[in-house]
Amino acid sequence: MISKKLCEQILLTAMSSGADFAELYAQNTQSNYINFIDGRVDSINDVILSGVGIRIFNGTKTVYASTTDLTEVGLINCAKTVASAFVDIKHTEIQNINLYERVVRNSHFIERNPANAPAKIKTDILKTACFAAKNFNSKISQVNGAFMDSDHKFLVANSDGIYVKDRRILTRISVSAIASNNGENQSGFHAPGKQAGLEMFDIIKPQDVGTHAAAQAITNLNADYCKAGQMPVAIENSFGGVIFHEACGHSLEATSVGIGTSQMAGKLGQKIANEKVTAIDDGTMPGEWGSINIDDEGNAPQKNILIENGVLKSYMVDRLGSRRMSTPMTGNSRRQGYEYEPTSRMTNTYIANGKDKNEDIIASIEYGLYAKELGGGSVNPLTGAFNFSVCEGYMIRNGKICEAVRGASLIGKGSQILQDIDMVGQNLEMGQGMCGSSSGSVPVNVGQPLIRVSKITVGGR
Amino acid sequence: MDFTAIKDVLVNEAQAQNIEQYEIYCRRNKDVTVETLKDEISSFASSDISGVCFRCIENKQMGYASGELFDETALRSLVFRAKENARNIECDEEPFIFKGSESYEKSKLTPFISTDAKTLREAALDIQKNMYEQNDKVTDGTQSYAMTYETEIYICNSNGLELTNHVGINGAYASAVVCNGDESAYGLKFKQGVKKEDFSDIAEIAVTEAIEKLGADEVKTGKYNVIFDGKQMQSILSAFSSAFSSKNAQMGLSLLKNKENTKIASDCVSIIDDPFYPECPMQTHFDAEGVATYKKDIIRNGELKTLLYNLSSAKKVGKQTTANANKGSYAGTVSISPYCMTIEPGKYSFEQLMELAGNGILITEVKGLHAGANSVTGDFSIESAGFLIENGKKAKPIKSFTVAGNFYSLLLNIAALSDKIELGIPGGFTVFGSPAVLLRDMSIAGK
Repeated sequence: MISKKLCEQILLTAMSSGADFAELYAQNTQSNYINFIDGRVDSINDVILSGVGIRIFNGTKTVYASTTDLTEVGLINCAKTVASAFVDIKHTEIQNINLYERVVRNSHFIERNPANAPAKIKTDILKTACFAAKNFNSKISQVNGAFMDSDHKFLVANSDGIYVKDRRILTRISVSAIASNNGENQSGFHAPGKQAGLEMFDIIKPQDVGTHAAAQAITNLNADYCKAGQMPVAIENSFGGVIFHEACGHSLEATSVGIGTSQMAGKLGQKIANEKVTAIDDGTMPGEWGSINIDDEGNAPQKNILIENGVLKSYMVDRLGSRRMSTPMTGNSRRQGYEYEPTSRMTNTYIANGKDKNEDIIASIEYGLYAKELGGGSVNPLTGAFNFSVCEGYMIRNGKICEAVRGASLIGKGSQILQDIDMVGQNLEMGQGMCGSSSGSVPVNVGQPLIRVSKITVGGR
Repeated sequence: MDFTAIKDVLVNEAQAQNIEQYEIYCRRNKDVTVETLKDEISSFASSDISGVCFRCIENKQMGYASGELFDETALRSLVFRAKENARNIECDEEPFIFKGSESYEKSKLTPFISTDAKTLREAALDIQKNMYEQNDKVTDGTQSYAMTYETEIYICNSNGLELTNHVGINGAYASAVVCNGDESAYGLKFKQGVKKEDFSDIAEIAVTEAIEKLGADEVKTGKYNVIFDGKQMQSILSAFSSAFSSKNAQMGLSLLKNKENTKIASDCVSIIDDPFYPECPMQTHFDAEGVATYKKDIIRNGELKTLLYNLSSAKKVGKQTTANANKGSYAGTVSISPYCMTIEPGKYSFEQLMELAGNGILITEVKGLHAGANSVTGDFSIESAGFLIENGKKAKPIKSFTVAGNFYSLLLNIAALSDKIELGIPGGFTVFGSPAVLLRDMSIAGK
């Protein structure tokens, strides 16, 4: 990592043309990838990413440059590149920047760092998961698995005097199972991850990961296509929380709120959701996939109450958003790596437990859909229009979960869906995903208990 | 990035470790993007990123290691790591370090010249100003972008092969936001090149697209004749393009296994893969294994002529590679992707296609394909927006509905195609293009 003295020199150079703030982000990440398919370990690859990003501000104007040239000359040149983008700005020369190293409190205890583990330990875990899927049912025709781990070390230094280093160790396993019958394929998927080392598999059994994916594939193979139309939907916990992530979470990021392209802009203090909805973004949760010790601007994460009993309480705000919105930062600045300028992002975002009993939620639906597991989705923060896929679903008739259905998707408008969440259960659980946005792909948890949406458009046949 | 210096260190280390078969793949990407907000430049970003991948055959397996550090110690460690990684692989495909093709087709493009920062700034500001002048409904959140991107690739291997390629793309992008009371809508337009004469058109197209969306209604659930415009059909083709990978077919991840030389699409459908497609600036004369690339029919008049192969997947079934080995970045393992994959245009003008549809839905926006399209099963159910088609004419805008179907059935059910291709934005060396297509009786879920 880069010394304090050199960081000071780089920041001064970057600010030489009139910037009122400068920041340096340096990264060294070792990532390992193992892929398994057709009963064999198909490929192993490891990558060491190493680079620096330098950003300057003048008010709300930003300049960013990134480089893999980590020589002193290369770094100073990168700083000169950003400085050269500000022209004709009246300024007085900054004489010096004094950086103070801050020690970060680690909330995520890592027992066995996967980056240091022999590949065989990891391939054995992956094989256990994949063979469990393959052996689940004779109709499982193919199993594709992956083991991923990364050891991410980074440094943030800025002209406010921050000089702080941190390390994030992430481990994830995924299994995709294909079930086939009469020339038709259906799939199932499961991919748990944690901010943890190999000890993660003391809690999450690899064979359970495999059987989860395989069972879903078999369920879908035996299912008929979901009928299209508007209906009430019960969305299960864990990754079901992607509904809040897409329908509302992105619209609460300063990235869109700060420039007025969010349906939620200007609504602080207003009732934007059903009173049963309390939603939280919490980057402090120990060992969780979306947690951080510090955000990617060097700030401490927080437990942010976004919506409390239906009332909008907070946005998620990074440094640029803070300047645009004249509101404090919330520890939500994130980026995939040095190539990306950071922006406001979610961490672990969830709808809190409610007071409704789960069995009452199902019993309350005469005809509707039980979305047991959701896939990914997307949203347009401007209009609030969102979509996501249902990986495993069942029809509900007369208050009972009935036959499985496949190929469903859910669409709607965020502001409407928040009002239509009219029952909230009590089995809060988190699911893991990768969230893509302008600052790249970052690990996030989504979560919720079982909820009921009184009416939503279900895409199907 | 000094390719020769990197090569020298890696070759010496490979020899020291008795590795006979190896390849060095280096890549340098440079880009600059300028972004506006309101009437000023809000962001200026540039990057200059280099990386190297060393891969080698050890124990009859291909091991990979990659990095962005170029000191001697870091480079030497790549060799050791790749060798170690190979020892734990169990793949049954034969790995290859390629000896080189007899000849390599040369691109007809003139050498790439990146647009300078000053021109990018002026372009973004000009487009932004144009958008605000187009219509008084254009509002905050409207943004313009101008960008330049270039990539330089160098491959050398233990068989003496040595190849380089340097290409890039300049472009301008308008993102218009319009507001009418409580209702907002947006429109987007990207155009290759940063040419002053294009700026007003780019602005006008983005603003018009946004304005046309205002007042959109919902549509009733049912079966409709559907036209996907070229941009949306290109997105669908992209989402399901992995079905044409021979490796995916061999592994049962595509339903096109054993379908070569059989009918898989409507007679009017032909799909071509062309690494030298004239309108695409991201051209390459060699693939990620160093094999000479060439234009090929994937589907001709409804018949699947070939899947896409790399050296290993071709060897497995006794065929020749189609030179479609691809690396998403310098650090990736070799996979299989198309270059410029286009559906050949049909014989109808867009207006005639609308008349053929009679009554139905014109889809001008699909979203969430990454989640709503399953390339293994072919199923899709995706959020869409567009316009009603009434008596062959574009009628009122509609939104908040899904269109559902299956890609393999869709190929068989294409009734007609328009005569003009809409080309997408390249992602690396891969880009998709399609004319508008007409399909009958598609499932629509709305109100």
